[in-house]
Amino acid sequence: MLRRPSSGDLRIIGHFTGRIFLAFAGVSVLPLMVEIGLGEWAPVSSFVLMMGVFAVVGAGLRRLLATSRPLDLRHGMVVVALVWLLVPAVAAIPLALSGHFSDFLDAYFDAVSGLTTTGLSVLQDLDHLALSLNLWRHLLQFLGGLGIVVVAVWLSVGGAGLALAHSEGRADKILPSVSSTSRFIWRVSLVHMAVGVAVLYGVGVVFLGFTSGRSVFHSLMIFFAAFSTGGFSVQSTSLGYYHSAILEAAASVMMIAGAMSFQLHFALWQRRYRDALRNLETRAYLTTFVVLLGVTMVGLGALGTYDGILGHARQGVFQFLSAHTTTGFSTIPSSELALWTGLAFAGIAAAMALGGMAASTAGGVKALRVGLTAKVLRGESKRVMMPPGAVIPVGYFQDGHRRMTVEVAHAAMFITVLYLGLYLVGTGVGIAYGYPLQDALFESVSAGATVGLSAGITDPAMPVVLQIVYMSEMWLGRLEFVAVFALIGTVWSSIRGR
Amino acid sequence: MRRAIVVVGTAAWMLSLAMPAVADVAVVDVAELLRDPASYTAPGVAEVRVRGELVGDFGHRQDAVWTQLNQDSYSAAPIRTGGPLAGGNQGIGVRIPLAIWQDPGAPGDYRHRGAIVEVVGVWRYHDPDRAGESYLDATGFTIVDPPAPLREEFPWSRLLVGGALLIGAGVIAASSRKRMHE
Repeated sequence: MLRRPSSGDLRIIGHFTGRIFLAFAGVSVLPLMVEIGLGEWAPVSSFVLMMGVFAVVGAGLRRLLATSRPLDLRHGMVVVALVWLLVPAVAAIPLALSGHFSDFLDAYFDAVSGLTTTGLSVLQDLDHLALSLNLWRHLLQFLGGLGIVVVAVWLSVGGAGLALAHSEGRADKILPSVSSTSRFIWRVSLVHMAVGVAVLYGVGVVFLGFTSGRSVFHSLMIFFAAFSTGGFSVQSTSLGYYHSAILEAAASVMMIAGAMSFQLHFALWQRRYRDALRNLETRAYLTTFVVLLGVTMVGLGALGTYDGILGHARQGVFQFLSAHTTTGFSTIPSSELALWTGLAFAGIAAAMALGGMAASTAGGVKALRVGLTAKVLRGESKRVMMPPGAVIPVGYFQDGHRRMTVEVAHAAMFITVLYLGLYLVGTGVGIAYGYPLQDALFESVSAGATVGLSAGITDPAMPVVLQIVYMSEMWLGRLEFVAVFALIGTVWSSIRGR
Repeated sequence: MRRAIVVVGTAAWMLSLAMPAVADVAVVDVAELLRDPASYTAPGVAEVRVRGELVGDFGHRQDAVWTQLNQDSYSAAPIRTGGPLAGGNQGIGVRIPLAIWQDPGAPGDYRHRGAIVEVVGVWRYHDPDRAGESYLDATGFTIVDPPAPLREEFPWSRLLVGGALLIGAGVIAASSRKRMHE
């Protein structure tokens, strides 16, 4: 029998949702200050309106649904699913009022794409967008990448952090408590930010010949989009705008850092290089990287897309890296990417689908699940060849030796199958709207794995239903299904439960 | 007379052979260039001529300035002057040697419609010398129309509503705190 959630349950969910809304009201002060500094007065008023909505809804929920009960895992999941759905609706206000979107749904699409670190966009005339609004889009990616969880913990949500962390798929603690873990994540991010912005600033001034002020702006935005594996860009031609191999190399390092799990960062931080290399996830990621890059490059070579090895190496490797880290930067137009057919398409699409590492800012199936699934399949293959009843222990190394349990195997394979189903559903809808199979599959995988590369389907003129399907894919893909199922279960049991 | 006609005719024919670049300058839209980029490369087409708005930055490198040239409806009718939405930008990278570079003023951004320029140059598609980049390598550069500032209306109503909501949130927060103290 379905049990209807008590008013206490709903009170907790609403209360903590309100707290996170208040946190976002606070965060939006940053782009507001930039606007005032730059004298972009029209966006200032839009941001004040957005802050007002965040603040009044947040304060109202906290006031009306005040509670002293702690947040448990189930509540945390519902809060996360709600936050990723509702925060973009308010965050889209200044975007919608900018005049760069056809309607509110388009602005909401951009905000969802930002917070889920996808990078697909239906914004029009990016090259004349206010700097502060572009900063807001990139900041949404940065916050989405690090997780609203960490932001919430950082902003003193306190004890709720553990439940929120589990529900976001970050069940493994790096340090004993979620607070210390989130502090570590922030420290890693800030160190990367300081180094990354400094390097990109230097590249901007020395190699690209930009002015100092513009270099600061470009470097900050590229860092936000690269480290969060988001993929929004400053100009309409993405990273192709810069025509610089050095900048692409610098951005690539940040993209890889973003796609690495924070556990791996911690191991490297502690100079446990051997452990880092022994991790199942590291090995799985390196294996898929080498194999799929090889497939992509062979495919590009067969197509004869570029002249010479250097052309193939630079363009092929960068687009592939962008796909496998689920960043979504590109140095070529989407019309050109759509011409990558055959093996080149297979390699890059598979790289997007598999994505980065668990507990990172990346999306996709995740290398840990790929590794676990491979271990399970290998174990089952051995079992077939052994006498009946033979016990074959399956173990793996992931921050220490672990035994493969039925629960771990089921969870890994279940989520993997869900991702594949998600990609196929989006592909089916794309095909139903008359798009070619390859383009529909590419775009669907890009949305579901929160990548952001486009074969050209994502466009302001795209069908509304397809737009909603892609948004749902981003939401489900970013939250790895479980939190969304918890929300759906709560809503369903509220209606049908007793 | 006949000899004069033969001489002039021969000279004209030789001149046309000697100046294939002039004969092969194709006037092209950026959208068309992006749609079918391979068709505008040498030796089929020696040079292309495009007209559009310079946006973003002017990157002063060793021997040339790198920038982006957009040719879309936003350069003719920017959104902030009431122009319609017409999809994404249509832009290409342009390399303009310092020898022909003239300062075109502010590039196109939130505050400006950038200078409208006409660029003649070689369309380098997947240039092997730059590891597969595509860009227009300018041989001629003319400023057609200088940049124009874009003015913004200040929407007071949004600010007032936002301010009122913030005050409302402050009142709610204060009353919550008061209730907690009680």
